[in-house]
Amino acid sequence: MWDLILNPFVTILAWLYAALNQDIVLAIVVLTVIIRFLTYPLLAKQQESSRKMQQIQPQLKKLQEKYKNDKEKLSQAQMKLYKENKVNPVGGCFPMVIQFPILIGLYQAIFFALAATPFQLVDLSERLLIPGLDSLIPLQRMWTPIPQLSDLLPALDLTLAPTENPHYSLILPLLVLVTTWAQQKLTMATTGQKTSKKDDDDDDDGKPAGGQAQMMKSMTTIMPIMFGFFSLSFSVGLSIYFVASNLIGIVQYSPQGRNVLDKLFGGKKSDEAPVVVEIEDDEPVKRPRKRRKKKPRKK
Amino acid sequence: MIRIEPKRFAQLLVSLAAMVIASSCVGARMGVSWPAVGLISYNGEQNIALAYNNRVAIISPVNGAPLRLINPLNGQAILDSENNPRSWILDGAANNGAQFYALPIVIDDETVLVAANNANLLRVDSVVLDVKNTYQLDDKVVANVLQVGDILYVPYQNGGLSARSMADYRELWRFHTEEGVWAQPLLVGDMLIVASIDHNVYALDRSSGQRIWSVDLGGSVASTPLLANDRLYVGSFNKMFFELSLDGQILSTYSTQNWVWGTPAIDDRGVVYVADLSGYVHALDSERNLQEIWSSQVAERGIRSGPIVYQDRVIVASRDGKVYWLDRRDGALINAREIDNRPELLGDMLMLEPSATLNVDAPLLIVTSVDESRLLIAFELDGRQTWVYPR
Repeated sequence: MWDLILNPFVTILAWLYAALNQDIVLAIVVLTVIIRFLTYPLLAKQQESSRKMQQIQPQLKKLQEKYKNDKEKLSQAQMKLYKENKVNPVGGCFPMVIQFPILIGLYQAIFFALAATPFQLVDLSERLLIPGLDSLIPLQRMWTPIPQLSDLLPALDLTLAPTENPHYSLILPLLVLVTTWAQQKLTMATTGQKTSKKDDDDDDDGKPAGGQAQMMKSMTTIMPIMFGFFSLSFSVGLSIYFVASNLIGIVQYSPQGRNVLDKLFGGKKSDEAPVVVEIEDDEPVKRPRKRRKKKPRKK
Repeated sequence: MIRIEPKRFAQLLVSLAAMVIASSCVGARMGVSWPAVGLISYNGEQNIALAYNNRVAIISPVNGAPLRLINPLNGQAILDSENNPRSWILDGAANNGAQFYALPIVIDDETVLVAANNANLLRVDSVVLDVKNTYQLDDKVVANVLQVGDILYVPYQNGGLSARSMADYRELWRFHTEEGVWAQPLLVGDMLIVASIDHNVYALDRSSGQRIWSVDLGGSVASTPLLANDRLYVGSFNKMFFELSLDGQILSTYSTQNWVWGTPAIDDRGVVYVADLSGYVHALDSERNLQEIWSSQVAERGIRSGPIVYQDRVIVASRDGKVYWLDRRDGALINAREIDNRPELLGDMLMLEPSATLNVDAPLLIVTSVDESRLLIAFELDGRQTWVYPR
């Protein structure tokens, strides 16, 4: 089953390698760009869903306060709020669930394509779907970042970890760490702009408003460290993929990049004004309006 | 509605990411290659040698048990610190974490040489199983070393072949290839035939290492060619099988379904049997430009190792965890045996015939798997399993 995703990726990577003058690093970068570009609509949908969730956070919090002793009513009120705002609470997860296997497939495709031992290479025989690509095996695994400085920066073996390559390759885990952090930071800014400052309506305990804010904060710290650490033992080829993928992510999450991509894919503009919906009908839900009078006291 | 605390959710996501990364490594193999198996003369008898991951072992063909270390002075078993008899198993973990995919070479009654995948050549006292000397090689070794007289020919995993004197193990000459040499070189007269992953088959002068000829087969070549009737037979990764003359000319070709990795086999009628990584076995007429006699998909998955021809049968082992016995006349399936847990059968096979030095009563087929709990499986000709190593 997994091969249905993986084998086309391995084949496309080998085909790109052939088309791009047998430059495996260029093939990895181009394939990463293509995949990130094609999965952008999913990413945009995920971002939009997160943004909408962020916008209704104050109202959600009020509901939680009002119905803290009545779970059933809380649930009904929340559903109503979601419905009126056209928000699916798990809507942000679905695109992410679809993207994960694609990105992992790409990651594994690079691993298999860079086969360097008998054990790895024997697997590759079942993965190339286009005739003629077999003659490219083994793919070139030595890479000189700057050919003009090959004395200073000798060739890297893309199948080996940075610790087994020339010392300068240790910059790659660092780049993975920095670019992952930058991408996470931009993700946070894109999906939770309000959480970066105190929310007047909800910030009565001094913590950043919105559960996602805390989540994103943790992710921004933990994920870069985790990926940077993993990159110390992953092959250099995979680190290059991580860096390329992160850089493309940074472009996708940046306002300019998003505007261009939204135009290309016909999506909504990223700076669209939030839709504010009044919660009607339910008596307890209206109560928070009275509590708003307390706000000046807090200020 | 189920609510998850933000911190929990963050932890969950991070765990998920870690799991995804970890699971994405599951498909990745952790080893380098598959077991190497062959016959080795030890204490005047023929036994089975096995090299795989962190062990080299000498195993009795009678019951699949590792040989015991015997003190030659008193004939008593050598004991370990807990007074248990010691077995002939060289532990790579105790020798700089060495991994082994090349068979040991017997130098004399007391010495064997083992080329390791950590670029070391170990000189081992085979009586007490103690590494006496370690010599640094230029690269890792993943194929069997060839010994001819007092010279060792060492194929390197990342490229090249090195000739080393057995007197002091210094390098006599080095032949460079662009990619690895994953097959034992073949000696033909004074020529060494070297197959390389760089798509070429090279013929070298064995005393100087000078290239006599080379031929590009359009795909990686990972097996030792078969020499028969003054011709070489070898397959490549571009789904082609070749008949070469001894001066490097391509005489005939045959298209296979997938890569050919194993060394082919030939019978007394001149029929060459080739297996490929789509699970096909092909019978080709070597007298008639590799004309196909029959071709049949035998296995669900690829066949990495070369076939064995014995009596009227062709025997192959597949990645699908099964061993197949075929009628060599038409490829009809005679018998198939599934190994427990269906481990991938990637290593070469061995056919043992009763002889004065081999202590078995009937022909024995040895199959190798990558399952650490059943590295060697012995079958009788009718497919009955006789023993498994380790037991």
